Amino acid sequence: MGEKVLMKGNDVIAEASIRAGCKCYFGYPITPQTEISHYLAEALPKIGGVFLQAESEIAAINMVYGASSAGIRAMTSSSSPGISLKQEGISYIAGAEIPAVVVNVVRCGPGLGGILPGQCDYFQATKGGGHGDYHNIVLAPNSVQELYELTVRCFNLADKYRMCAMLMADGSLGQMMEAVEFREIEDIEAIDKPWATNGMGTRGHSNYISSVNVNPDELEKLNQRLQAKYREVTKNEIMYEEVNCDNADIMVVSYGTTSRIIKNVIKDARKMGINVGLFRPISLWPFPYDELGKHASHVKAFLSVELSAGQMIDDVRLSVNGKKNCYFYGRTGGNIPSQKEILDEIVKILEKEDR
Amino acid sequence: MKPFEFENEIDIAWCPGCGNYSIRKALIRALQELEADPLHTVLVSGIGQAAKMPQYVNCHFFNGLHGRGLPVAVSVKACNPHLTVIAEGGDGDMYGEGGNHFIHNIRRNPDITHLVHNNMIYGLTKGQASPTSQKGFVTNVQVDGVINQPFNPLAVALSLGATFIARAFSGDIDQLTDIIKAAVKHKGYALIDIFQPCVTFNKTNNFAWYKENTYSLDSHYDSSDKENAAKKVMETEKYPLGIIYRENGVKTFVEKINIYQDNKQPIVCRNRDLGKVNQLIND
Repeated sequence: MGEKVLMKGNDVIAEASIRAGCKCYFGYPITPQTEISHYLAEALPKIGGVFLQAESEIAAINMVYGASSAGIRAMTSSSSPGISLKQEGISYIAGAEIPAVVVNVVRCGPGLGGILPGQCDYFQATKGGGHGDYHNIVLAPNSVQELYELTVRCFNLADKYRMCAMLMADGSLGQMMEAVEFREIEDIEAIDKPWATNGMGTRGHSNYISSVNVNPDELEKLNQRLQAKYREVTKNEIMYEEVNCDNADIMVVSYGTTSRIIKNVIKDARKMGINVGLFRPISLWPFPYDELGKHASHVKAFLSVELSAGQMIDDVRLSVNGKKNCYFYGRTGGNIPSQKEILDEIVKILEKEDR
Repeated sequence: MKPFEFENEIDIAWCPGCGNYSIRKALIRALQELEADPLHTVLVSGIGQAAKMPQYVNCHFFNGLHGRGLPVAVSVKACNPHLTVIAEGGDGDMYGEGGNHFIHNIRRNPDITHLVHNNMIYGLTKGQASPTSQKGFVTNVQVDGVINQPFNPLAVALSLGATFIARAFSGDIDQLTDIIKAAVKHKGYALIDIFQPCVTFNKTNNFAWYKENTYSLDSHYDSSDKENAAKKVMETEKYPLGIIYRENGVKTFVEKINIYQDNKQPIVCRNRDLGKVNQLIND
C-alpha cells in the first residue's frame, strides 16, 4: 500500500475508477456527487480516457451501455432522482448481459426530495429498480477507504459476471473527507471479452448485442441463464462485517453511514451492561441471509437501523425467518439518528423482550 | 399588496446580482399590467435556479421533474383552458434534460408562454457547461473548453412551427415586460429565450458581454415575415432582441383535440356520466 492521503469521498470514487481501468465516464450534474465529474474531467483525458457530460442521465447510462458493449470499462454516477432515470438502461444492460458500473450517492426522497444523505434507494437497488427478472450487484461502503476498495471491486465483478455492479454510497460518504490508502498496482483481472462489438476480433463472425427476444423458449433460456448466474454470484460474492456479534443481547443490522454510528452505540451500551452486536451487510445484493440468520439462535432480537422508513428490514426478517422479533428504527428527510436515539430504542426493545 | 406579490418579504435563494431578479420583476409587472388573475394563473417549472421562479410569484405553482415542466404545463392548460399557463426554467432544464419535450410540445402549439432563462451554464450544480454554452467555454468539467455546437432554441422553434418566438435580455426590464405581455396575450405557443448573466459561475457571458453582443430590433422590423425571421434566428455575430417571429390564427392544441370540438367546458369542470361509462362496454 502507498501513503495515506486525505481525500473527499466523491474524489476517491473517481480516482478508484481510474485505477480500476475505467476509460469512459458519462455524467450529468446532480448534487451531492458532481465532484466525481469534476475529478474525472481533469484526470481521464490524461490517461487517454474519455469524460463526457451528457444531455441527461438517460443519455449517460446509454453511453455506458454503448462503451461497455465495445468491451471498455465504463461508469456513470448520479444521485437518487438521476438513478431513477437510469433504470430503463440498467434493465437492458441486464438483459443484454453487459458489464457496467453505476454509482449512486444516495440522497433523501421521494421525488426530488432533498440533497442530504439517505438510504431510501435500498428497494430500488436490491429488488430490481427497472423491469424484468434481474439483479445488480450492490456494494455499500461505510468509509472513504471502502469507497476505493468497493469501486474497484464493482469493476471486477461487473466484468466477471457480465452484469451491472452498483456502488451504493450516500451523500454523507460522498462529501466526507477521510484518510485513504491506494495500492501501487490494482489487481485487475484481464477478462477476455469475445462478445464485444469492438470490430477488432479475428473471430470471423460478427457480434450483436440486444436484449430483445420474441421467442418464448429462447427468452426463458436467457432468464434461466441469468438466474443461474445470480445463484453463482450469491454463492461467491457475499460480503459483510461482524462486530461484537458472538455475545450480543441484541443484533443491530446496519450498512453504510449508519453502521458507523452503531460502532459508537456498542461502546455506550457496554457501559450500561448491554451487549450490542453489529451485523453490517457490505453486499446488499447478494444479501447475507444465512450469515445474519444464524445469529437468531443466540440474540434476543434484531434491530435494523436505516436512513429510510424501513427497507432493509424486509431482508432482515427474511434472514431471521420468524425465529426472533425484528425491530426497525430509521430517520428520513436527511436526518441522521444520534447514538442516544438508537441506544434508547435498544433499551426499549430489550425491556419489551425481557418482560 | 398588489397581485402576484407577497404580503411579507420572502427568502429568495439566488445570488445577489443574479439576472433572475430582473426577470421576476418583469414577469410580475407584466402579469399585473395585463390584469391577470393570480387564481387563474399557473406557473410551471422543473429543476434549476430559474425553475425556482414559481415559488417567488404569488399565484398557483407547480414544481416538478428536471426538464419536464413543458409537458406538465401543456396538460394543465388542456385540463383547464381558462387558465393562464406559464412554463419557466433554465437552458439546462428546458433545452438539455427537457430537449425532447421542447421539440414535441412546440409541434402541438399549446396556448402557453414558455420563459427560458438562458445564462449558458448550469448554476444550481455550480457551473458546468449547458446546451447553450459557447464553443471554447471553459468550466471545471469542460476543462479544455466546450467542443459542441451551441443549441439554437430560436431556430429549432421556428423550424417546428412555433407561432411566437422572442429573445430578451434581463438587463432591459421594460423590453422584457413588453415581450412577456405580448407572449401571454398570444394565442398559441410563445417562446421567450431570456439572456441572463450568471454572476457567480459564468465570468465570460457577463452583463457587459450581453450588452455588447445584442441589439434591439427596430420598430420597422416585420415579425410576420418568416423568411426574414429565419435569417434573424441564425444571427450570432450580434443577437437580435425583440419579437422575432409572430404568426396569428394557427389552431392551438386545445382547439385541435377532439374533446373540445363540440364542448368548450374545461375537462376539470365536467361531471362523470356513469350512464355513458356503463354504455362503453356495449359500444
